[in-house]
Parts: sequence; C-alpha cells; structure tokens
Amino acid sequence: MDAAAPAASPAAPGRPRITGIGDWSDRRAELVLGALACLLLLLIGLMLATVFAKGWPSFRENGLAWFGSGGDVDQQLLDIFNSPANPDAYVYHLRAWPLIYGTALTTFGAVAVGLTFALFAAIFIVEFAPDRLRRVLEPVVRLLAAVPSVIYGLIGILVLAPFVDGLVSTERKESVAFVVQLSGANISVATLILTVMITPIMIAIIVDALRAVPRAWTEGAAALGVNRWRVMWTISVRAARPAIVAAVVLATARALGEAIMLSMVSGSRGFAPNPLDGLTFFFEPVRPLAATIVDNAEGLQVAPFGQTIYAFACVLLVSSIFLSVGGWLAKQPLRRYGIRP
Amino acid sequence: MTRSQTIACGMACVGAMLVAAPATTAVARTTITMSGSTSVAPLAAGLAKAYLKNQANRRQARFKLLQGGSDIGINDVARGRVTIGNSSRDPQPSDPGGLIFNKIARDALCVATNRANPIGNLSQAEVQAIFSGRVRNWRDVPGSRVSGPIDLIVRTPASGTQDAFQSIFMGPDLRVASSAQTKSSNGLQQQAIRSNENAIGYVSFNFTKGLHLVPYKGVACTLRNAKSGQYGGSRNFWMVTRGKARGEVARFIKWIRSAGAARRVISTNWVPLR
Amino acid sequence: MSIRATEARGSSEAWPLADRIGLRLAWAAGILLCAVVAAIVLYVLVRGLAELRPSLLFERPLDTPDQSHGGGFLDPLAGTVLVTMIGTVIAVPLGVAAAVWVTEYGRPPGLARAVESAIEVIAGTPSIVLALFGLFFFSQGIFGFLSFTSEGGGVFGRSFLIAGAMLSLIALPLVFGATREALNAVPAHVREASYALGKTRAATIRRILLPASRPGIATGTALGMGRIAGDTAIIVILLGLLRFDGAGAGVPVLDTLRGTGSTLTSYTYANSPAGEGGAEAKAWAAAFVLLVLVVALNWLVDWIGRRWKAPAWTR
Repeated sequence: MDAAAPAASPAAPGRPRITGIGDWSDRRAELVLGALACLLLLLIGLMLATVFAKGWPSFRENGLAWFGSGGDVDQQLLDIFNSPANPDAYVYHLRAWPLIYGTALTTFGAVAVGLTFALFAAIFIVEFAPDRLRRVLEPVVRLLAAVPSVIYGLIGILVLAPFVDGLVSTERKESVAFVVQLSGANISVATLILTVMITPIMIAIIVDALRAVPRAWTEGAAALGVNRWRVMWTISVRAARPAIVAAVVLATARALGEAIMLSMVSGSRGFAPNPLDGLTFFFEPVRPLAATIVDNAEGLQVAPFGQTIYAFACVLLVSSIFLSVGGWLAKQPLRRYGIRP
Repeated sequence: MTRSQTIACGMACVGAMLVAAPATTAVARTTITMSGSTSVAPLAAGLAKAYLKNQANRRQARFKLLQGGSDIGINDVARGRVTIGNSSRDPQPSDPGGLIFNKIARDALCVATNRANPIGNLSQAEVQAIFSGRVRNWRDVPGSRVSGPIDLIVRTPASGTQDAFQSIFMGPDLRVASSAQTKSSNGLQQQAIRSNENAIGYVSFNFTKGLHLVPYKGVACTLRNAKSGQYGGSRNFWMVTRGKARGEVARFIKWIRSAGAARRVISTNWVPLR
Repeated sequence: MSIRATEARGSSEAWPLADRIGLRLAWAAGILLCAVVAAIVLYVLVRGLAELRPSLLFERPLDTPDQSHGGGFLDPLAGTVLVTMIGTVIAVPLGVAAAVWVTEYGRPPGLARAVESAIEVIAGTPSIVLALFGLFFFSQGIFGFLSFTSEGGGVFGRSFLIAGAMLSLIALPLVFGATREALNAVPAHVREASYALGKTRAATIRRILLPASRPGIATGTALGMGRIAGDTAIIVILLGLLRFDGAGAGVPVLDTLRGTGSTLTSYTYANSPAGEGGAEAKAWAAAFVLLVLVVALNWLVDWIGRRWKAPAWTR
C-alpha cells in the first residue's frame, strides 16, 4: 500500500498538500472497512427481521392471549405439532404463560439472590478479607465466571438433583401425581445452579468498581471517623451503582439465554409452579423459554410448530434488547452526579 | 513477501479450491440422507454399514443418518430435505401426499419397568388404566414389588413409537396421561426407566437391555413371539420415499429386502419380513 | 483499598447495630463464597481427575450412541479445537475491522452508532437464538457448498463451517470491545504526529495504531476463544445431530469442514443423563479437559496483560 500511495502528490509551488481522509488510499481503506462493518449491521438486521417474520404468525393467530394462561402448554405444543398438512388448517393455539412464568421465576430469582450475595461478597473481598485469602479468592472467582455452562449443568444433574430427589417424600409426590411428576429436576435446583452460574460475574464486576472508587473519598470519610462498614456501604457502593447496574444487566442476559444447562436440570415440563402449594412449590418442574427451544428444536420443519418456536425466540430477543436499553436508561440519572458510567 | 507474491499465492489457493470442488462431484457418489425414527435408526445404521462393505457400493453411495422421530422423518422427506424417512408407525391420513412407504422389517414394542419391579403380566385393560392415569399408585397394580406413585415415561409427539403405542395398546379413545414425563428417543426412555424404580414405559426391542420386559396379554416380549405373531405388540418399520424410489436409493431398498447380508443384520434385534 | 490502618483503636463492637449486622452479613457472604467455590472447584477437579485416563484422549468415540462400554473422546477434542479455530479466524478480522472503522473513520456518525448498537445486540442475544437463525440462514440453497445437499434438493444446513461462523458472532463483541479500547488508549498526539509527517490515515492505522493495539486485540481474542470453547447451544443445534456417517474416501479437509461431528461440550452433554451416552465417567473426564482448556485460555489472557504492554507513549 505504501508503494501505491504517494506520500505527497506534486503540489503547486507554495501550497502544501494536506494528506488526510480525502486521499485515494484512505478512501479505499474507509470503504473496505466500512463495508465490513455494514455487513455486520446487515447481518443483525437480517437476524431480527427473520426471527420476527417467522414468529409473527403465531402472535397473529393468538393475539395478546399468547402471553396468557389457559390449558396445558405441552398439550398445546403437541397439537400444533400434529397439525394437518393443509396450510388452511394449521393449529396455532397457544397460551405460553407457564413458560414465561417459569423463565421469570428462575431468572429473577437467580438475579435477586445472586445480586444480594454478590454485593456482600464483593464488600468482603475488597474490605474485610484477609490478604492471603483474597489473593486466592479473587482469581478463582474470575475463573468461575468463565466456566462453561455445561459443567454447571453436569454438577446440577449428577450431584444436586439426586440429593434433592431424596428430599422429596413419597407423600408429597403422591399429592400432586395426578398433575405432574416431582423429581430432582425442578425449579429450586434450576434457580440454585443459575445463581451459582451468574454470581461470579457480578462479583468480579462489583469488585472492580469498588476498587475504582477514588481513594480521597474513602480515606476522607475514614478521617472523619466513619467506620469501615459504613464507608463501604454509604460511599463505595453508592459510587459503584453504574457498575452494579451493568452487572445486573449482564447477569440477567446470561440467565435469560441459558438453554442447555436449564434443559438438563429444570424438569422439562411446561408447568407453572403454584406458590399456593406451600413447600411443594419448590419441587415442581418448570421449563424456561430457552430450554423449551432447545428441547423442541427438532420439530422446526413442521410449519406451525417452527413458527411457534420462532415466536419464543422473538420473546427472548425482545427481552434482551429491552434489557440493554433498560440498563442504559438506569445509568442515565447517575451521570448527573459526575459518576462516570 | 511482496505484494505481487501475496496476490499470486492467494490466487493459487483459490484455484486449488476451485479445482477440488468439482473433483468431489466428479466422484459422482449419491448421498443418501435418512432421518426419522429413533427405533429404526440402529437398524438403518447397521444396514448402511453392511451395504458399504461391498466395494462397488462404497464407490457409489454414502450415508448420513439423523434421528428426530418418525413424524420428523416423514415431514423431511416430503419436503425433499432428506432422501429417505425412517418411520416406525404406519401411514396416517394426515401425512403429506406423494409418499411411498416401503416396509423393511417388523419390530416388537415392549412395555418395560425397572428391574426392581418385575411385574408378571399386564392385560390391555391394565395397561390402559396405568398409562391413562386412572391407576396412579403401584399398590393398585397386582404383581408390583415397589410402592409409591407410578412414574409414567412416554415419548414426545414426534415419535412413531408413541403413535404405535397409542394405536396398538391404548386404542382410539384413550390418551396417555398429560402428567407423564416425555423423552425424545428410545435411548433416553431406556435410561429413565433404568434409573427410576417407580418408572414404567415402552421401548423398541433393541433398547431393552437392563430393563424388565412385562409380558403383554400373557405373552412374553421376545423376537420369536413377535415373529410368530403371538405377541400382540408388534409393529412395522418403513423407509419412506417421495414418489417411487429411484437410482441408488432403489438399489439400497431392494438390497435390504432381498440380500442375505441384510437379513442377517435385521435378525439380530428385529423381525425380518421373510 | 483498605483503611484498616486507620482503625488502630476500637473494635467493631462499638459500631451502631445496623453496621454490625452489615459486617456479619459481609463475613457470612465471604465464608459462604469460599465454601461454595471450594466445593465446586474441588469436586470437579477430584471427579475429573479420577475419571480421566490418557487413553481417553487418544481413542475415538464408539459408533453407537451408547458410550458406556468403551471409546474415548479424541473426536470431540479435535472438534473443539477445529470449531474454535474457525470461529476465531472469522471473528478477529471482522471485529478488528469494525472497531477500526468505528474509531478512526466513523462517517456518517449515525451509521457508526448503529454498528455499535448492532454489536451490543449480538452480545446480548442468547446463543440459542443465534443457532436458530444460523440454521435458517444456511439452509438456503446458495449456501449448499458450506454443508451438503441431499438427493431431494434440501440443504442440510449444519456443519463445522456453519457452526464456526455462528460461534464467531459470540466472540465478535469481545474482540470489538477490546480493540476499540486499545485504539482509544492511543493518545491523540501520536496520530497527529503521524499525520504531520505526511502519512495517510490508512498508513497510520496499519503501521502505528494496530501494532500498538496488539496486546488489546490478543486479550480480546483469547477471551473470545474461551467463550467459543464453552458454548453448547450452538453446537447442539448446528453440529451434533448425525448418528451415522458412512462415507469412505472423499476430499480430506473439505469433507471434514463440511461435515458434522461433536465437540467436548456436546460430548459432555450427550454423556450426561440428559443424553443417550450413559457414560457419566466419560462426561466428567471430558468436562475436566474442557475446564483445563478454558482455564488455560484465561490464564493466557492474564499473561498477555502482564507481559505484553502497550507502548508507553511519552504522555
């Protein structure tokens, strides 16, 4: 490229040539790089358009009741799969509330428990942990954030599920046997493993943010006689709020999209666990949206069934977009106080 | 490397790939893709392997085998996504048009329980009562050795085995209970029954290792009983093609129906047609 | 930043009740964290090491779905390496090109913001949705050369190349972010000096900015590789469905790339109780090898950060 691009073209005497973005090789580079970047944009646009277009018939036929409840969602999926081959007679009837409810329960449960735990654990690591413990704990926590989800699923299905299965008594199983079978793969194991999976990321981000709080603030407060805990809680944590928001957004996105691990441990049954069941609520199976997609991925060829699966993917996609926008919005008010997001 | 050398090297690589691509097609081998029933899949894999032992066949055909369930196979072949659809259920009126079902073997569909629960016999009425959810506890089933609620393990909607079970054992009026656990293949169902004392389900004969097979209507579920017709739960295996089979596919299906090597493969765990 | 030194006198007993509760909670969380972390790490290590035998690394898996009576995981191991390589080879040039364009050129500004938002959308998309889209996209007739076309005219839509292409989308935001940060870290006076000497913008990027960003790009690449190696959903949908593949002689490299196979993640999944393999011991061994791989990649990131510093500009 250097051989082709003239360092300075023959200029009229007395007028230096300004080399810049108008140069020919620059324009070529800009076009090539810009084309590659726009290729990405097109690809994402294509993905959004495809998922929405293919999922639209399911929403169109059901209307807003798509999100409502009514009947056994597994039975409805079976009926959709067995639709006659005639396009006019396709069955689309679906009430996806059990799946959405299951997704919401596992995701928000995991994020709520995880955030509380991560906050206190991060404070412990930054402020109260003995030096030697901290030197071991921090890299290990970062390592846990990178562990593939299938390993968590393996622990869940081979260690936790049999243990929880032993906790469910025969009487409890008999009490709900006419509706659903209780086993070790249920909502509590799923939420627990999900929490364990997303907490290391949150801890790592919050620890970084707590450390980035200007020393002047914390030392100034200590000089005024504030005790260690109060300094952490009222100053560092408040200053780290943008990072906490970012951590929550990241963790929620990961929890929403987790498909394989949840399909291993959550019970694979489209069932809406009923809190009124008391303790049995914790042992009922559930199947979040992403796990539903994975479990049913083989039936994509059957037209109405494939469109229903794409409708699930639509809901996931829209949720993750809303999540990013929500995170960005949540950080906006914090800008006013000079806290850099 | 100078710029011209880089360009020359790149063009040589692209040229090599362009030459290689037609070379693959010049071999002119047909790719026979099969998808569908998980019950037929081990049989299809065995038959394909035996077929490819012949050198002449190896030059002309290659096989790719997927699963997914009989309904998936039938849908795939109707849309031309695969060459052959494996089906373990008989043709239904709701199937797409233009399909030819080629029967290749028969199979025994066994009701199975865990080894800890060796039930002596189940009549059709008892099977219907258990699988429809009317009888929910093992203490109400004569001959059971375990106690507690019955854990039903059935197959997903796409399964031909599920359709065969429904039509042979349950009859046209009764449905399997909706509280049952669904598994997407014979292997998964076998594993689930093997690991749960209170489980009961149904599997193709090839997948019965480690399970207790319940005699149905007084007849044990064995290949001999299926061949003689005494066992009530036998069903057909089909290879479905779109229109009449042509070319290499026709040769393969003809080989399955006539060759001794094919018959030997089928006789291991299934019932040959002749 | 600890302020322990300032609390030479006085213990936490003198604090208000709320603060004491907070302190106890923090300690409880810390101890629970240690316990959980130790439990997970030790369990996976012990279980994996117990089940891992060198023969497993060099034997091929059995032909049948049931893996309980023999075979190893050489094929899945090779599959992981192959799919990581394909994904990285696609992600790094695209990510670096996009980051360079957004940082250095970026005209019109609306387009640059759109590209940034698009990459954020990719970063937040669940990998199962990416897998579904990839299946649909590459099942179109024009992409038949990436997998294979069966007799009836249907494109298979699943292969190593296709799985690698969709996996590259997972690594792309990481490479993009790291490159953008590295490019932004180069001070403006360096660019101005280069322009003052008469270099074009393209030459500046090529000769000065990119070499200076190499540590950042390497970090992003290693992070991306770690995420690709650990992904299961895309592999299960786009790679792991063939039960039997009887082929005989063919074009060696192209056939493998256009064919399907398995990786350590799908092998672990298939051998757990959720799949048909029925060989829990092998699942633990494969999980252990996968963990070692991911740990090695993360350690590589740390090592790059420590050893390979960006050039220290004078200001």
